[in-house]
Amino acid sequence: MKSFVDKIIVQPLRDVTQKLVAFLPNLLTGIAVFAIGLVVAWLVKLLVVRIIKLLKLDAAFARSGVTDALQKMAVKDTPSKLIGRMFFWLVVIIFFVLSLSVMRAPVIDQLLEKFLLYLPNIFVALIILASGFVLGNFLGRAALIASVNAGVKLSGLLSKGVKTVILLFAFVMALEQLGIGRSTVIATFTIVFGGMVLALALAFGLGGKDLARTLLEKRFKKDGDADGERDELKHL
Amino acid sequence: MSKKLELAESVRVKIADLKEVDILVGIPSFNSAKTIGHVVRAVEAGLSKYFPDGRSLLVNSDGGSSDGTMEVVRQANVDFDSVLLDHRNGGFHKLVTPYHGIPGKGSAFRTIFEIARELKVKACAVVDSDLRSITPEWIELLIKPVLEEDYDYVSPYYMRHKYDGTITNTIVYPLTRALYGKRIRQPIGGDFGFSGKLASFYLDKDVWETDVARFGIDIWMTTTAVANGFKICQAFLGAKIHDAKDPGADLSAMLHQVVSSVFNLMGDYAEAWRSVRGSEPVSTFGFAYSVGLEPIHVNLDKMIEKFQMGVKELIPMYRSFLPEDVLSFLNDLAIRPRAAFAYPDTEWVKTIFHFALACHRKIMSQEHIIKSLTPLYLGKVASFVIETWDSSAVEVEGRLEELCLSFEGEKPYLIERWDGNA
Repeated sequence: MKSFVDKIIVQPLRDVTQKLVAFLPNLLTGIAVFAIGLVVAWLVKLLVVRIIKLLKLDAAFARSGVTDALQKMAVKDTPSKLIGRMFFWLVVIIFFVLSLSVMRAPVIDQLLEKFLLYLPNIFVALIILASGFVLGNFLGRAALIASVNAGVKLSGLLSKGVKTVILLFAFVMALEQLGIGRSTVIATFTIVFGGMVLALALAFGLGGKDLARTLLEKRFKKDGDADGERDELKHL
Repeated sequence: MSKKLELAESVRVKIADLKEVDILVGIPSFNSAKTIGHVVRAVEAGLSKYFPDGRSLLVNSDGGSSDGTMEVVRQANVDFDSVLLDHRNGGFHKLVTPYHGIPGKGSAFRTIFEIARELKVKACAVVDSDLRSITPEWIELLIKPVLEEDYDYVSPYYMRHKYDGTITNTIVYPLTRALYGKRIRQPIGGDFGFSGKLASFYLDKDVWETDVARFGIDIWMTTTAVANGFKICQAFLGAKIHDAKDPGADLSAMLHQVVSSVFNLMGDYAEAWRSVRGSEPVSTFGFAYSVGLEPIHVNLDKMIEKFQMGVKELIPMYRSFLPEDVLSFLNDLAIRPRAAFAYPDTEWVKTIFHFALACHRKIMSQEHIIKSLTPLYLGKVASFVIETWDSSAVEVEGRLEELCLSFEGEKPYLIERWDGNA
């Protein structure tokens, strides 16, 4: 009985304890590395925020509509603070990874390697999303102003449409970069977008053909101006 | 300081041959074969009639015309026997050359200025190539103040219909008058006289690779002359009739070109205009007269509709740079019926000042800011037309004087905010 208890409980416990004792220094080193990483991350965050303020990038973000969009998402931080926080967590993740590698467990090493190889994709995907957002805002606003000045009645809708299409493009490209459901996402996007374009063409060309004719005549035929439509003002 | 312009070999040969010239008249052109012949003849007749003893040169600076414009210039000649009772034409020369640089009137002018500098010209003038109403008297009026009265810059003053030039009347004239203190009635006229000294001054400015070369040269020349203390006057030239630009030309593009030039110059010359208070008249040469007012068609309903749509759709954008009082005024005006539609001068002045401030602070793309002014501009024009429909040209001019005084009166408001102090 005693030898049974020894074999089933005592010996395994002794083995685990030995392994733990052998692992403890690595664990403590890993914790120390992580703690240093937290301090470094805090310093990097301070430095990044200071550099962004020196370069006056907050004003550039305000111009491109990023600050507005963040406020609409109930994010009260300025873009500089947000970027600072991103860098903080980036450094924390790096040191976390380092601290895991210091522990020298083979399974962890393999997982880490895969994660590090994937990290650039996340970074590129974020840049794609950010660029898509800035471009969408800019072109959406340009479309709004141009359509208002041209007297197009659905100018607000047109502008939102332009912005949405660009954001959607950026989102799909980001997903493609991350390798998430590549073929499914692209196929879905193509079908939906192509379908929308076809539907609009049919609606405008068939359902609105008289309206299309009137609009084209107004645009390209000077004599087609209805009585009382054209100004004789010379603005310059 | 800008890089010196390299002139074509044929031009340098002509300059070496002429050595010095008293008067230079420049005509920038692009596909103007139908009209430039008349302009050349008017210039030649004017120089022969009013400056018979001087050595003069006509320079055609062409932008690569494909309709034979340069050939028309070379062959255009005045039949002096039918035009003038008595003439002497010893010192008239012609020079036809393509210009180089960014396509635009400014680049054409740069070539003309450079030739003027090389020939040590005393007095210069530039006239448009599509003028149908130019007479030999225009040359006298643009050149004599420079040659005989020591003026450096002669701005044109045309007789126009009371509703012509609404961008000039509601924005450019009152704003530049308030900023620089000189009552130059038509600062973007297009036909100017200036001294050789001023031509050299223009050449030394580093603007020839910017929008000034493309479309901002007229207001740039006027503002640069005023802001740098040159002696300015204006000359009454009568009616300006020229080939109509494409009537479908985009108003917002026109507004952007003109207003962006004015706003950019505000930034360049902030130190000059900040200390100016009020304004003073400039000497005017020529015999002023008025013309009959033929009725013109103005589609007020369409203008007001565009104003209302602009306010409704662009209010979120305006919120980035217009103050709350202006925004609430615009919202209120957008729901008023036509009978009560009025855009008071004080609100208009504040609107323009805040648009200028938005461009100065680079709140967003300058093109977006200025093009979004289009619906508000149409609202102001509609309000002005409603108010003055039954007024004479003199009464309308009096009304514009009130607008100018509003701009001058509100200038401290602009100055306070220019450096971000409010």
